[in-house]
Amino acid sequence: MQQIGKNQLSILIIIFLIGSTPLFELGIKAKQDAWLAMSAAAVAGLLLTFMYVRIQKRAPEAELAELYTMHFGRWIGGFIGGLHALWFAYESMRNVRDVGELTMMALLTFTPKWIVMLLIISAAAYTVSKGLEVFVRVVQLLFPIVALSYAFLILLLFIARLPKLMQLLPILENGIGPVMKSAFPDLLSFPFGQMVIFFVFWKHVSEKKVIGRVSYWAYIGVSIFLILMNVLVLCVLGPELAALSALPLLEVVQMIRLANILERLDVIVTLLLFIGLYVKMTALYMAAVFTLKAVTGIAYRFCVLPVGLVIYASSFLETNNTYHLWIGLDITLKIVPLFQIVLPLLMLVVGLRKKYKSAG
Amino acid sequence: MRQNRSNMETKGAVMNIQNAGEFTPFSPSLHANVETIRNRFGGSTDIVIRMFRSDAAPDREVAIIYIDGIVDSETVNESVMEPLMSMKLPPHAYVKGAKLLEALRSCVVSIGSVQVIEGLEQALQYLTDGLCVIMADGSAAALTADVNGGEQRSVTIPQTQTVIRGPQHGFVENVRTNISLIRRIIRSSDLHVQMHKIGRQTHTNVAVLYLHGIADEGIVKEVYRRLADIDIDGVLESGYIEEFIQDETFTLFPTLLNSERPDTVAAALLEGRVAVMVDGSPMALMAPTTFFTFFQSPEDYYQRFDIATFVRMIRYGAYVISIVLPALYIAVTTFHQEMLPTTLLISLSAQREGIPFPGLVEALLMELTFEVLREAGLRMPRAIGPAISIVGALVLGQSAVQAGIVSAGMVIIVSFTAISNFVMPEFNMAATSRIIRFLFMIMAGMFGFFGIFISVLFMLIHLASLRSFGVPYMSPMAPGPTKQGPWRDVFIRMPWWAIVLRPLDLNLRNPKRRPNGKKPPAQRHSDKA
Repeated sequence: MQQIGKNQLSILIIIFLIGSTPLFELGIKAKQDAWLAMSAAAVAGLLLTFMYVRIQKRAPEAELAELYTMHFGRWIGGFIGGLHALWFAYESMRNVRDVGELTMMALLTFTPKWIVMLLIISAAAYTVSKGLEVFVRVVQLLFPIVALSYAFLILLLFIARLPKLMQLLPILENGIGPVMKSAFPDLLSFPFGQMVIFFVFWKHVSEKKVIGRVSYWAYIGVSIFLILMNVLVLCVLGPELAALSALPLLEVVQMIRLANILERLDVIVTLLLFIGLYVKMTALYMAAVFTLKAVTGIAYRFCVLPVGLVIYASSFLETNNTYHLWIGLDITLKIVPLFQIVLPLLMLVVGLRKKYKSAG
Repeated sequence: MRQNRSNMETKGAVMNIQNAGEFTPFSPSLHANVETIRNRFGGSTDIVIRMFRSDAAPDREVAIIYIDGIVDSETVNESVMEPLMSMKLPPHAYVKGAKLLEALRSCVVSIGSVQVIEGLEQALQYLTDGLCVIMADGSAAALTADVNGGEQRSVTIPQTQTVIRGPQHGFVENVRTNISLIRRIIRSSDLHVQMHKIGRQTHTNVAVLYLHGIADEGIVKEVYRRLADIDIDGVLESGYIEEFIQDETFTLFPTLLNSERPDTVAAALLEGRVAVMVDGSPMALMAPTTFFTFFQSPEDYYQRFDIATFVRMIRYGAYVISIVLPALYIAVTTFHQEMLPTTLLISLSAQREGIPFPGLVEALLMELTFEVLREAGLRMPRAIGPAISIVGALVLGQSAVQAGIVSAGMVIIVSFTAISNFVMPEFNMAATSRIIRFLFMIMAGMFGFFGIFISVLFMLIHLASLRSFGVPYMSPMAPGPTKQGPWRDVFIRMPWWAIVLRPLDLNLRNPKRRPNGKKPPAQRHSDKA
């Protein structure tokens, strides 16, 4: 079995959760308190992570589908596992479509979407076919690029004196209500609740004892980063402008103008976007393949291509970008808590009643 | 054969594995043996067979057989021929049969390495190896004396991997000389050398070198196993071996390091790598190799560490440039003009005004032209070298721009890419970027930055999946190192006293180079007396 180390796990968590998140101003419905909404969701997400780790600790050698069958029996558990695999594939598909839409919007206006999406899904399929170890190594290789790019952008923002803390005031203008409203369930489901995917990967960590500690710290670190990025965008654009633009970070970076050379740094943002989307897409794709394998018993390598084809084909189902966003922001967010909260919670409760002793 | 091997190992001598399994015993008759050998060589005229009766054993005829040109004739004359013909054996040595040879060995032939052999095939093998065979009438055995010699290139300055500061000698074609060069650097009994014969016809000597107690035994065994699996008629260069023993065939990236510098090989051995040297080739192979070792020049370790670090950074930068620069140029001029500062954009557009081709075609044209020039520069006779440079620089550079076939900007890009490519200390890694560059250019021509991104992604995935003798190719970056040490000699080079650990992320038996990372204290001199 392929194994990953604890450092690799933390890097995977960091890059996976960063994904494309900093590019959007999440929780902007709470206006200048978006970052508070983000923080609230992050804390709730940490609680969820506690729960996930707790469930995982019962059977360290089991992955998601195996945990389901363990708790709910073979048939119900298998069914739920299959459902979950489908959801992973669906989420992966959303990222593929995102790449297609964003490439059209930002880079290649006249290139057909199908070829752009075909290229990115084939990169993902190539990675998935190579296995988890190779995927994590790719993430490790991408990590310095991501870290340096963000550091570079943030540095330039401060050199250009763009952030103004005044934009954050007044804090809690309309009380705590709007903050909570925008935090739950939207912000919890994306990005923080997506930690649920690590049910699939924890099994492959070589040092089982530390998965809790590593996951918490990586989670906390990346949450702080995401909140800070949220604050930064707010400080530069202000709540009104941030609410209007589709890609606020792109807007922010376009404002950087230094020494007549450092202009038009959009390409760095687009690069970060692609990296984030690629990592998310591949992780979800791989999770779908792992779960499908565990549910049906079909060998891993035979699952790769069919799952990839399903993801690729389904990415055409939505007719246009507006429809894509509407499904993503309205429909999906109503279903997601089932996978992120309800099912794990059920497992936890069932498990308590069964009084689990280590691996069943 | 198996027994032969272990036997030789205990002697600590150079080991031979004979591919030919057949064994024909000698006949007691000297004339029959000589005739057989002569026939097996098809009566070749360079086989020298000298038969005589020596004073040492006047009643029995003795024959000396060797191949002219691959033995050192002076040694043959002085140490074999003369003692045999003139010396008398001490009285107790007057013995009959096979024991005569034993007596000759112990009392007469004044050569270091003398062996008794019993089979015809062995004799043929040793003859072709440049040894001389001594046979006596009435004994069904033979003596071999190592008189290897003859014409060979002397040790000179390395041609392909030059340094300003550092040892100035390179390997030659003779594997024995090459091993001796290493032995002179690493004077330790831990340096183990094992010789294999590979090639049904060429019987090429292939030496495996490693430092016992430092190199991973598993990897050493794996090297042996892969070498033993090679079955081919001839091995003319280490490239043959490389293609047989590398982990992955379908990759553009070299997974074995090669070098013609003894100091590089010695450094690799000290790092726990295994070296493979092939007779007839001045290029030694080293494994396992990771991606980052291709960016380390031996001079990095002889220069001051800060300068070495700077130069190493330049190398990484140059490698990236040599892969992506033309692709970036194509992407920017074709798809993303808004990326450029306005004045630059205007001047570039003005240059490209009269150019009939799109950016991709223009770039491909120029890059291919350069590749042709480069290949011509390698293959042409030395005397017409200047002609090529005139044609290349003037006709294809300046005139092509004036004729409006390519833009001046493109000439700059192509030239700079080409120069960047030459920065790489390892030729085979540099060659990789030449091919990848074309893939990148085509992708950039079709999809702009997105194409470059996808190409980089595929390259990274591929790199992450490669292994060299089980060691992940991108270590210590991916997977990351378990200890801090390996970082001190990857992107930067720390001062020598700080490089405590050996670089490979292997389970080396002895990963420490130094007891600690502290500089030995120096006597402080102050200005005040």
